[in-house]
Amino acid sequence: MSVDFWIGVAVIAGIYGIAALGLQLNAGFTGLLNFGQAGFMAIGAYSMSLLVVEQGWPLPAAIPIAIAASVLAALLVGAPSLRLRSDYFAIATIAFAEIVRYVFQNAEFAGGNQGMIGYDQGWRNFAGWLSSTLAPWGIGNPQLPLLLAIWIFFLAALVALDALEHTPWGRILKGVREDEDAVAALGKNVLAYKLQSLAIGAALGAISGIFLALNVTYLYPGEFDPTVTFFAYSVLILGGFASYWGIIIGTLLFWTVMEGLRFIHLPLSTNQLGSLRLVLVGLILVILMRLRPQGLVGRKAEMQSRQ
Amino acid sequence: MITVRDEGRPILSIEGVWKSFGGLAAVAGVDFSVAAGSITALIGPNGAGKTTLFDLISGFAKPDRGAIRFNGTSIGRLPPHRVARLGLVRTFQLTRVFEAMTVLDNMMLAAPAQPGEKLITHVAGRAASKRSDRDVRAWALELLARFKLDGKADDYGASLSGGQRKLLEFARALMTRPKLLLLDEPMAGVNKVLGRQLLDFVEDMRRTEQVTFLFVEHDMDVVMARADRVVVMAEGAVISEGSPEHVRNDYRVVDAYLGQPRGAA
Repeated sequence: MSVDFWIGVAVIAGIYGIAALGLQLNAGFTGLLNFGQAGFMAIGAYSMSLLVVEQGWPLPAAIPIAIAASVLAALLVGAPSLRLRSDYFAIATIAFAEIVRYVFQNAEFAGGNQGMIGYDQGWRNFAGWLSSTLAPWGIGNPQLPLLLAIWIFFLAALVALDALEHTPWGRILKGVREDEDAVAALGKNVLAYKLQSLAIGAALGAISGIFLALNVTYLYPGEFDPTVTFFAYSVLILGGFASYWGIIIGTLLFWTVMEGLRFIHLPLSTNQLGSLRLVLVGLILVILMRLRPQGLVGRKAEMQSRQ
Repeated sequence: MITVRDEGRPILSIEGVWKSFGGLAAVAGVDFSVAAGSITALIGPNGAGKTTLFDLISGFAKPDRGAIRFNGTSIGRLPPHRVARLGLVRTFQLTRVFEAMTVLDNMMLAAPAQPGEKLITHVAGRAASKRSDRDVRAWALELLARFKLDGKADDYGASLSGGQRKLLEFARALMTRPKLLLLDEPMAGVNKVLGRQLLDFVEDMRRTEQVTFLFVEHDMDVVMARADRVVVMAEGAVISEGSPEHVRNDYRVVDAYLGQPRGAA
C-alpha cells in the first residue's frame, strides 16, 4: 500500500488517539464512563470553525477559545451528572453528545446539515508553506504537516498525562475510580476531582475534533455521531485499560484494520463492505477480550482486581 | 436514663438526632457526647443503628432532626470530605480498600493537604511537592510497619485478606492525622495478638497525640478492657451509657444485648 494510505491511517489514528487519551483519563484513571466524547469534539471543531468563518478570527486565536468552550460544556454537564451514580453519568453524557449534534444539525449559523467550509484556510497556507519547505528533502507530502502536528501533540499529551498519573493528584483520581466514598471519607473533594478529570478529557476531545475538522476540510454534524465515541473506546480497549501508552498501538491497529479492509475486494456493495468492516473489528475485539482481557498493553493487576 | 458526664470537654456531641428510612426510625432521638481524649465504645445488637449513626456523624447521611457538633462546629449538614478535613475520620464496617492500587498508594492518598494534590500547586512547586511526597511516604511506611503490613506495601489492595483490609483501613485513616477517629468493628477478622498490639497503639496515640477514639465493637473483652466509656444502643436509641462496669451491670443492657453478665463475646 502506498505512502498516502499509511499517512492517512496515521492521521486518523492520531486524531482518535487524542480523543482516547481523554477517555483513558476519564474511564481508565477516574472511573468516569464518559460516552460524550463526540460531543466535546463537535463543540471544539464547531467553535473553532465559527470563530474563523463567522468572526474572522485567525486560527491560532480561535483554537484556545474552542478548547475553553468544550471545557465549559464539560463543567456544565458534569456539575449535575457527576453527583449521580456512574451509570447515570454515562447516560447523561450520551444524551449530551446527541443534543450537541442535533443542535449543530439544525443551527443555520453553523450550516445545518450542509456543514461549514473555509475554516481551514489559515492551516492550508501554513501546511502548504511547510510542505514546500520540506519538499527538497523528498518529504513534501501535502498531508505530512497535519500528520506531524497531530502526532507531536498526541505524544506530548500522552507523556504529560502519564506523568500526572504518578502525582498525588493522579493517586486521588485512581482512588475515586476504586471507591469514591472512601476517598471522601479521607477528606478529598471527590466532585472537584471528577470535574477536573472530565474537563481535561473534554479539552483533549476538543483538540481531537479540531484536528478532525482540519483533516476533512468540510465540517458537518455527521462527523460526530455516537460511533465516534465508540471507536475511541475501541482504541482504548485494544490498547488496554489504564494504560496511556497502549493507546498508540491500539489506535494504529484499529485504523490499519478499518482502512485496510477497504482494499479487500469482495463481491459486495459499498454499504455491505462498510458493515463487514465493523463486523470484523468487532470480531477482533471479542477475540482480544478472550485472549488478553487487559488489552495489548494494559495492566493485568488493575483489571483482575475489579472482578 | 443514667448519664455520667465525665471528665474532659466533649469533642463530639450528638443532640436529639433522628434518622428514618421509609417508615423505620434507624436512629430515634440519640443523645450522647464523647469526651476529648477518651476511648469510647459504641455497642449494641445488630440493627441498633450504630452504623447509621456513624454515617450521620461522618456526613454520609443527613439527620432528619437534631444537631451534631464537633469541637463546637455544627457538622450535621456538611459533606463527608468537609467533616474529614475538620479531623473527624471514619472507617467502614465493610472495608473499602482501593483494590487496584498498591497498599502504599492506599496509605499515601490519605495524607492531608499534600501540595501535589492540586494540579496548580503541583506544577508550580515541583520541589515542594516532591519533598512532601517523601515525608508522606516515610510516615506511611512507619504506620504500615506498626500494622504489620510493611511487607505488603507494594502489593495491590485486592491481594489482602479480610483482616489485613481492616488493618489497612485503620492505618489509612490514621494517615489523615485525625482528632477523632470512628472505627467500625476495627478488630473483626484481625488476629488476637496483633489486635492487642494495636489497642496498645491506640492508647499510645491517645496519650501522645490526643487522638479521641469512638469505636463499634462486638468483642466484649476488648470493649471492657479498653474503653473508658461505653454507650449502648438498641433499636435506634441509647439505652445505657457509662463506665464499662456500670454498663455491664445495667439490667437493660443485659436484657437487650449481653444476655448474661460477662457473657457475650
